[in-house]
Amino acid sequence: MTDEIEREMDFAAPPDEVWEALTDPEWLGTWLADDVELELWPGGEARFALGDQIRTGWVEEVCAPGGDGGQPGDGRLAFWWAEDGEPASRVELSLRPLDPGTRLRVVETRPLQLLDLVGVPLPGQGGRRYGPALVAA
Amino acid sequence: MPHEPNGHTADQVSDGLAEDRAGAVFGALADPVRRRLFSEIAAHPSTATELANGLPISRQAVAKHLNSLSDAGLLERERAGRDVRYRVTPQPLSEAVSWMAEVGGQWDERLARLAQTLER
Repeated sequence: MTDEIEREMDFAAPPDEVWEALTDPEWLGTWLADDVELELWPGGEARFALGDQIRTGWVEEVCAPGGDGGQPGDGRLAFWWAEDGEPASRVELSLRPLDPGTRLRVVETRPLQLLDLVGVPLPGQGGRRYGPALVAA
Repeated sequence: MPHEPNGHTADQVSDGLAEDRAGAVFGALADPVRRRLFSEIAAHPSTATELANGLPISRQAVAKHLNSLSDAGLLERERAGRDVRYRVTPQPLSEAVSWMAEVGGQWDERLARLAQTLER
């Protein structure tokens, strides 16, 4: 079972510009959180600060609009994030060109069964914790 | 507003919760002030006066939000002398519904900010 929320929003800006707003740390700092650090490659580290709340995570997929593996103009960014000790969730931001403009689709999912393990100390493993990276493995 | 939430989230709630009930809960928690009041009451049952003391809004405005939360079945009232103390209804909504309401509300706010920054 998976909890999921989904939102869509259309913008007048072209996909390249919306993509920049989704991936440029300075731009992300104006809407996603106060301070965003994002290593833009699969496995890259991510850190989001909002007030005194810190979320950390990692990047799963980066596909710029017009890049390899997608339709021309489509873009996709997927990452995982979690507050310390909280279950992680996966965020997927995908872009689709409109004529004119861009449609942004946001899906945040929390795969419950696997994530029951997150943050739980495991007996016999020296208190090692499962994290999002292991969940996806 | 170009933004339209789709029906996905409501579909996922169908186990155990009537859809109109889920709609009322989502509506009540769609507002950031109500979400904040709800989480404060969850941490510590409070009266409207106590809640208003910690917030930059009037007691009347707080009372109105508390009514919305109560109407959605999220809060219970109990007498506290001449005042009314609110506490969170025991398990009024599944943990999944509250996660979706909270996370959905956060994305609504983020997307509104993104729309602003892209239109500059």
